[in-house]
Amino acid sequence: MICQCARLIEDGKIVFIGYGLPQIAAILAQRLHAPRMVQVYEFGAVGSLPETPFVRFTMGGPRNCYKSLAWTNMNTIFAQAQLGMVDLGVLGATQIDQFGNLNSTMLGADYTHPEKRFPGSGGANEVMTQCWRTVIVIRHERRRFVKQVDFLTSPGYLDGTPGARERAGLPRDTGPWRVATSKALYGFDDHTRQMVLLGVLRGLSVDEVVKEMEFTALVKEKVEELEPPTPEELHILREEIDPARAIIGKTARD
Amino acid sequence: MDVLQAGIGEFTVEDPDDLRAFMRTEKRREMVDKVMPEAEAVRRYVKDGDYVSFDFSSFTRGPACLVREIIRQRRQNLWFAAKFTLMESTLLAEGGCLRGIDVGFLGLGNLIGKAVEEGRIKITEWTNGTLTLRHLAGAMGVPFLPTRNLLATDTLAYSGAKVVQDPFTGKPIALVPAVNPDVGLVHVHQCDIYGNARCFGPGVSPLETAMASKRTIISTEEIITTDDIRKEPAKTTIPYYLVDAVVYAPFGCLPGGAQGVYEMDTEHFLEYMAASGDAQKMAAYLGKYVYSVASHEEFLAKRVGVEKLLDLKRQATIKEGYH
Repeated sequence: MICQCARLIEDGKIVFIGYGLPQIAAILAQRLHAPRMVQVYEFGAVGSLPETPFVRFTMGGPRNCYKSLAWTNMNTIFAQAQLGMVDLGVLGATQIDQFGNLNSTMLGADYTHPEKRFPGSGGANEVMTQCWRTVIVIRHERRRFVKQVDFLTSPGYLDGTPGARERAGLPRDTGPWRVATSKALYGFDDHTRQMVLLGVLRGLSVDEVVKEMEFTALVKEKVEELEPPTPEELHILREEIDPARAIIGKTARD
Repeated sequence: MDVLQAGIGEFTVEDPDDLRAFMRTEKRREMVDKVMPEAEAVRRYVKDGDYVSFDFSSFTRGPACLVREIIRQRRQNLWFAAKFTLMESTLLAEGGCLRGIDVGFLGLGNLIGKAVEEGRIKITEWTNGTLTLRHLAGAMGVPFLPTRNLLATDTLAYSGAKVVQDPFTGKPIALVPAVNPDVGLVHVHQCDIYGNARCFGPGVSPLETAMASKRTIISTEEIITTDDIRKEPAKTTIPYYLVDAVVYAPFGCLPGGAQGVYEMDTEHFLEYMAASGDAQKMAAYLGKYVYSVASHEEFLAKRVGVEKLLDLKRQATIKEGYH
């Protein structure tokens, strides 16, 4: 999942990095193929070169914000995103629907008495609204891929109708671009905006992957075989980024 | 402007002229020594029912010792601005202090989610960015600011935002109401006795928080002279006239870190995480770190210890940029 996500980060772009796994994917991408990628964090650090081994939990600390180009603040960063300067957003997500709308707020129908309350948007709403494209990293579990999210926290393609985002006032030409899981890679159909299965991890079948989704995604005519983590990727993850296996051990289980 | 949609979340907006009247008479222009213990700062400036905001995060330059003092003094019915928060919502809620939360990010651990699920804590839905933008509006003395965030989401529906047709371009745009907290809590690296404060490194919104808040309590790692301040004016983040109290609080961010000074205490944080899903464990945690010690100094002496403090200081090897 981390490697798949890292491969999607293009060199030379300005990339908003969300809390958690996106941070690791960003470091991996920067070490491998995107050395000139400029990382941006929501509390204002621009162009950091995070120190490894990766420090868990904290995002704003000195090791993670090491050798930044600039230290600003949240209003400035989100203003720059709103200005159109941030090319890609990389986010973790709790739940996603067929049009790429995200839920990180709650399950259930009653807002004042939710079945389960999650932490809320954080900066996800801003990222999905303002970045030109967004990559969503999410565990491949059936209950996370729903037909319609209980609560629309952060906007994907809304109801999938043409121009839905623009009609609502969201920035023209923006929207979710890829969904990376431990088993598969998805895109979004240019016309219907439905999620499309693009690739499946080597060794898994399309059936195995779509079974673990509550809704039926479109399937690309030629589904790519996704390469598992390469020796080079694994080396960097295991030796440089996370030698204590604090994080990668967990995701390997997914 | 036509209001196309209005969120139903609870919020209040200060009349800009009432706000100006407050800033005119209640914020002292004279440079007076504002140094006081955290107990006095909280006693004077944090009242039951207040709206409380803070900067930066639980892990980095956060006013943890002030938050603990608020819980220790058993403040009630507070409304809390959870922009980029991780521990504070849970601690305040389990300390019985909260009526409601403006949610950018609720924080870590199951207890706070449960409090919301059981209807014990009210929520108004926002995002980190829009809640921070509200502080900018409050800092500017205007009743709202426009944003393209929130549009087309349930987040907006449960926020206090409104959607209007922008009178200049005709496109839908969201307006977020200003927030003027009753009290803002900001931990800083350096501050003089009058409240001229320096924050090093990135941050969420220290200046906006201090400007927007009617009362600002600064806790500081170091007290420096005003001469130091005047030698490098570009480093001043918050000018003295926005500040009401200065609390000398070295290691005041613990279990978080202060960049260039000490690292976060991961061991303590894991202890918090273990307690954050269980009401009894959290009660024990609060007993240990809040109620059974009378002050930040006692917390440092009896709950942290010199060995740990020196270790966290030693770990802070990266200093460049934080001075």
